Amino acid sequence: MSEPLLHAVQVGIEFGGLRALRGFDLEIRQGDLKGLIGPNGAGKTTAFNLLTGVYEPTHGEIRICGNRVNGRPPHQINHLGLARTFQNIRLFRALSALDNVRVACLSEERPLFSRAQIDDLRRRSAGRSPVASAMDALNNYVDWWRALLLTPGFQREEAEITRRADELLRVMGLSHRRNEEARNLPYGEQRRLEIARALGTQPRVLLLDEPAAGMNTREKGDLMVLIRQLRDQFSLGILVIEHDMKLVMGICENITVLDHGVTIARGAPERVRQDPKVIEAYLGDSYLAAHGMEVPAQSTTSETPLA
Amino acid sequence: MKIPSALRGLVPVLVAIVVLAMLQLVLGDAPFFVYLASIVGVNVILAVSLNIVNGMTGQFSIGHAGFMAVGAYTAGKLSLLIKDVAISGLPGVVSDQVQFVGSLLAGGVAAALCGFLVGLPSLRLRGDYLAIVTLGFGEIIRVVVQNLDVFGRALGLSGIPQTSSLFAVWFCVFLVVLVARRLVGSTHGRSLWAIREDEVAAEAMGVNTTGYKVRAFVISSFFAGVAGGLFAHFVPIINPGSFTFVKSIEVVVMVVAGGLGSTTGAIVAAVFLTLLPEALRSLFLQLGGLDTGASLAQKVDQIRMPIYGMLLVLLMLVRPQGLFGNREIWDVLPRWFPRMWKGIT
Repeated sequence: MSEPLLHAVQVGIEFGGLRALRGFDLEIRQGDLKGLIGPNGAGKTTAFNLLTGVYEPTHGEIRICGNRVNGRPPHQINHLGLARTFQNIRLFRALSALDNVRVACLSEERPLFSRAQIDDLRRRSAGRSPVASAMDALNNYVDWWRALLLTPGFQREEAEITRRADELLRVMGLSHRRNEEARNLPYGEQRRLEIARALGTQPRVLLLDEPAAGMNTREKGDLMVLIRQLRDQFSLGILVIEHDMKLVMGICENITVLDHGVTIARGAPERVRQDPKVIEAYLGDSYLAAHGMEVPAQSTTSETPLA
Repeated sequence: MKIPSALRGLVPVLVAIVVLAMLQLVLGDAPFFVYLASIVGVNVILAVSLNIVNGMTGQFSIGHAGFMAVGAYTAGKLSLLIKDVAISGLPGVVSDQVQFVGSLLAGGVAAALCGFLVGLPSLRLRGDYLAIVTLGFGEIIRVVVQNLDVFGRALGLSGIPQTSSLFAVWFCVFLVVLVARRLVGSTHGRSLWAIREDEVAAEAMGVNTTGYKVRAFVISSFFAGVAGGLFAHFVPIINPGSFTFVKSIEVVVMVVAGGLGSTTGAIVAAVFLTLLPEALRSLFLQLGGLDTGASLAQKVDQIRMPIYGMLLVLLMLVRPQGLFGNREIWDVLPRWFPRMWKGIT
């Protein structure tokens, strides 16, 4: 089988003495729709931040499309094909909806050295290549000159970027908000705009951090349809962090459950739902006892917060 | 009329050259006016260039006078050194102007280099580090210049050829405004705005935030250097006293007063705050303020800082986002005077 788009192997991170996450495994292939759940503080967002390069893992290895990305800055990881949304919406508030998406739509064409050339150099030197960085910087300086001189090639690229951004706004049903400032959009549309922005980077894997937070039942229903549609239309692999059980169980084909930084269950939704360890993590072992179920042997805590 | 896309980049430059050349012909011989217009122009360059960093990118630099000093001393010293050399085959005036442009570029490049060296380590971090480092840089440059014989110590450099002109200064003003506007309208300007709005999100969307911040800072420093170079070629003497911390704060005040991120705001504020002391000067004459012993210049200087302070407090109370906020004058005016605007269009 071919290399997965996103592959985390035994990833872990320690903050001082605190092991926020350990032995985390994940594989995302094209067309996958996986879920990551767990009670508050279980390490879900930490896992997200590790995958997107906000933190550098202290253990294990993360590979994107075959590239080892440990220690690479988030923008390079994004260029390799990983895009994300944020739990608490982080739009560029003063920018128009169109510009929010256009920021993400970076041009593929580079003036001096191609992106493939630079990536190749980085791959060979395990991500830390001063030559590659210098080439990248040179590219950018030349690109600024093209913008300042308003060269025909630059104008063409700008038009192409605008076209792509408009197309994404249309797909997400936001065309009517094109020129409005992001902060003035209603909550649900801000969430959709964030997804549109993430898609602007032309990702192969999309990470959604609690996409349904704050949505009502109807909006959640629409979102479920939309997520599936996006996966098929853009041939993505999608990983969803979500608190809303109905949504996760409804759309994900495979769910990973975290508790206290450890993966306690993994598998199809029905199996995960009936796993005693999961029920214990979410509802506490008193619930298990009250319903005549067996309390797992390695139970360590009795008072786990409700999700 | 349809302009071919290959020429769209050049048309404004050609128009500016023609207009400024005409202005130079009409007004170029009134010494006081040219001097005042040059001072205003230099301040506009400083404000607009600082706005690229402080306004558009959301970083906080308070050492712009330092970069101006680097440009002024580099360009000034260079001009002094090649003063007696004439480029063969060219008439004297042309040769002087070529040397002047060369000095300006040298000043700008030296300042840009300093900007790169200062910016690279401090812009990797988020938050207030840049403010501290630039503040330190400005003071270091001043102290270094003050103690080097090459740069005339506290006496400064004098006798720099006065080759600047109304045209030269305002053409540079035009260039910096063009650069700022073109940036805003491009994918690079949007990335700068994105960094200002949310650095974490910008980074996650594939924007190399450190790279963008450094580039914005380098461009800004370059123009501060050019402004310094211009300054050196129309004032009779440059000394460390012209590039103090107060000068840096003046520029920051212009940018904040005009509205962080607003190029036209920076221009309006720079013009207004530069002409204010002149207006005060005539006010003093009216009030007979010459009697109390202190020289006129001292008084204007004394009253300027309190007025700055009061203006800032007033602005914070009335318009905390600055004169135009992060918009431009043509976005704001129609809203302020809807009726008047309708009459015009």
